[in-house]
Amino acid sequence: MGKKFERTQIIIGFILFMAFLISIPFFASDYWMTLLVLILIYTVYASGWNLFSGLTGYTNFGLAWFIGISGYLSSILIADYQWFWLLAWPMGGLLVSILSMGVGYILLRIKGVYFAISMVALTEGTRELFGTGYLEPITHGGKGIPFVAGIRLPTLYWSILFLAFATVFICYKITSSRFGLRLVAIREDEQAAETLGIHTTKEKIIAFALSAFLVGLGGAIHCTYQNYIDPNYAFNIQLTLTPIVMTLFGGIGTVFGPVLGATLFTFIHEILWAELTLLYMAIFGAILMILILFFPQGLLGWMKEKGILPKIRKI
Amino acid sequence: MTNFLEILIRGLMLGSVYALVGMGLTLVWGVVGIVNIAHGEFVMLGAYFAFWIFSFFHLNPLISVALSLPFFFLIGTMIHKRITERLTNAPELSALILTFGMSILIWNLAQFFWTNTYRSVPYLTGNFSVMGLILAKSKTVSFFLALGITLSLFAFLKYSKMGKGIRATSQNSEVALVCGIDTKKMRALTFGMGIALAGAAGAIVSLQWVIFPQMGGSYVSKAFAIVVLGGLGNVQGALVGGFIIGVLESLVTQYMSAKMAQIIPSLIILIILLLKPTGLFKK
Amino acid sequence: MTVREPLLKIENIVKRFGEVVALDHCSFEIEKGSIAGLIGPNGAGKTTLFNVITGILQPEEGHIFFKGKEITGRRPHEIARMGIGRTYQIIRIFPKMTLLENLLVVGKERGEAVVEKALQLLERVKLYDKKDEYASDLSFGQQKLLSLAQVLMLDSELILLDEPAAGINPTLQNELMELIHRLNEEGKTFIIVEHDMKVIANHCQKAIALNYGQKIAEGSCSVILKDETLLEHYFGR
Repeated sequence: MGKKFERTQIIIGFILFMAFLISIPFFASDYWMTLLVLILIYTVYASGWNLFSGLTGYTNFGLAWFIGISGYLSSILIADYQWFWLLAWPMGGLLVSILSMGVGYILLRIKGVYFAISMVALTEGTRELFGTGYLEPITHGGKGIPFVAGIRLPTLYWSILFLAFATVFICYKITSSRFGLRLVAIREDEQAAETLGIHTTKEKIIAFALSAFLVGLGGAIHCTYQNYIDPNYAFNIQLTLTPIVMTLFGGIGTVFGPVLGATLFTFIHEILWAELTLLYMAIFGAILMILILFFPQGLLGWMKEKGILPKIRKI
Repeated sequence: MTNFLEILIRGLMLGSVYALVGMGLTLVWGVVGIVNIAHGEFVMLGAYFAFWIFSFFHLNPLISVALSLPFFFLIGTMIHKRITERLTNAPELSALILTFGMSILIWNLAQFFWTNTYRSVPYLTGNFSVMGLILAKSKTVSFFLALGITLSLFAFLKYSKMGKGIRATSQNSEVALVCGIDTKKMRALTFGMGIALAGAAGAIVSLQWVIFPQMGGSYVSKAFAIVVLGGLGNVQGALVGGFIIGVLESLVTQYMSAKMAQIIPSLIILIILLLKPTGLFKK
Repeated sequence: MTVREPLLKIENIVKRFGEVVALDHCSFEIEKGSIAGLIGPNGAGKTTLFNVITGILQPEEGHIFFKGKEITGRRPHEIARMGIGRTYQIIRIFPKMTLLENLLVVGKERGEAVVEKALQLLERVKLYDKKDEYASDLSFGQQKLLSLAQVLMLDSELILLDEPAAGINPTLQNELMELIHRLNEEGKTFIIVEHDMKVIANHCQKAIALNYGQKIAEGSCSVILKDETLLEHYFGR
């Protein structure tokens, strides 16, 4: 009985929270809305990264590649072909998830650090390629594409809110499913998983493509929000790094760790950026080092260890 | 034809410096087991080291190259003892993320204190000609400096007691430990040597190119390509890898564009990892 | 006229690591429903043979047939799904998963059936009470039982055990061997790598001796173990 009551409470609390988030554009200022948009974009990035890397243990250092590819296709469709934004975004997500299946099939047989490096190489190579004259007819080269999508801030806010909710919900479902368990088994001991009948290549590629799709959608919305795209901005290593730091901060491999990390970190970013613009990156780097040295399990992992939260995968 | 030979020589000269950076990375990665993303930042620090010594003391830059070796060796061992040693038994990826943080910390601090202004060491400007080839003085001197350091490193690893200890540690840390080699000390010394190589490479770089806080990135990506080409922990392989990257860069810059030349390291990493993940050369 | 197909047939397997020949034209057959012991000194190629059978390593020459179908060159997960399960010498369970999760991740059944089956198996290896604990918290011997339970979750017909009795206390050892016998009676076939000759003598119907990657003897346990010259020659007794 007690458990059921608790569950009802959680559901009511959740509905109230969602209602609050949905109603925000009716009373909040543009400043708060843009801040929330950023938090939600990074929630998508961090959760999407965690969905693949947190569970399988394959560190993906190519998140910016997902963002850049999808961002480019959707921006080109909107800017050069006058597509409606709502149709352009999924095209970006679809393209990058299809491409990532190919990339995953080739690169996911490379283990550990080499996989991480090859994804950086892929991102950097694509960034340079998009800036060269060879692709200029399509990408407009290094000078970038400024565009107006004709979407109002509240609509953009609701769109990204929906995507962030969907992403976290998918992560929640997967983490507590047997598909999620199979991904964790790959992280724990890939060869043993294989001799226990788990088709590791298939599972990895599915998770990789799903992560690419969600992050790609986020990237498309991000570019529309910025009204601009260029190679250095879309394939920036910073776009890979920030969500990783957020996930580590909140707790890698947990469901709500990336959400917590994205929220707290965006606020920290706002304060640091305003107060210490010139040393912002240095502080960022220092936080990263401290996290790895002293809190490798992150905030949620630490709370689970101390018994503040139950040790279950659903959190 | 002369032109082609010139491009080739220019590539080899370029490669000798890249090799120095790559050898440092491959040593630290292979022996200490730490993937140092911040390696390029030490190249940048080495370049600034030479620059400041030149502008404050007006010392000959060749002396600062010599000074950079012990200086960065000390810095490297200190960093290892204070920070990276804690990661000895941690997953490989922890080091990757930690040194990523270190890299950002270092270049941003450099930017903060030294600003984004491009700097250079005006020394040995101009060209000279040998057998109909026109070569830059600074690059020629750099080439011989880099080669000299490389050969000393080879001799050191091959003949000195410490060098043998380092090689033993890289091959089998446990066995080395049983044989009475202080592997912990060897790892610290190797880390120091890796950083010293990066620092010296930076000091040499300052003779021929501009210096700025974010210059490390392009060196570290080349160094990774070199490690992948030469095989992990393989110093001789790194030398050959350095030459390959240098020559390719020189050729592509000449016949395609400088922008395309920037893609080479990424392309090499991807191709080699797919075809032959152990590197081109046997250890 | 029908000739009974052996469950597993190893034919002229050769596996090299550079210059070293780990398996040198190795051939033998395993009957359905038997418990076979695989013996030989360290480096004789026993674990390599397991790795080749389960698809982790690819042999340079030779063929492996399971239930009459060739499995040489197939991926490990395919071979596992066809019905060959294995445990490792150094235990390889999933430490950061609970015991129940360790089994659920293997199962193929849908819905509640898989949970039921997993719980039954945990009961069977006497680890039911610990179902929600992390596998890393188990003792070494318990981890071996869990590892066996994982293989059972797969419904393997042929189970390869790499030193199942090594490093665990006698009580647990007896329990484990008893379980193996009961499973054998239920129709499962076992190949056991073991250094302890008593375990082989007491539990296996047949033994295969390997050395330098070659099969040097095969026969009933009593014959193999009585052959003093063989023991002296190869095991240095």
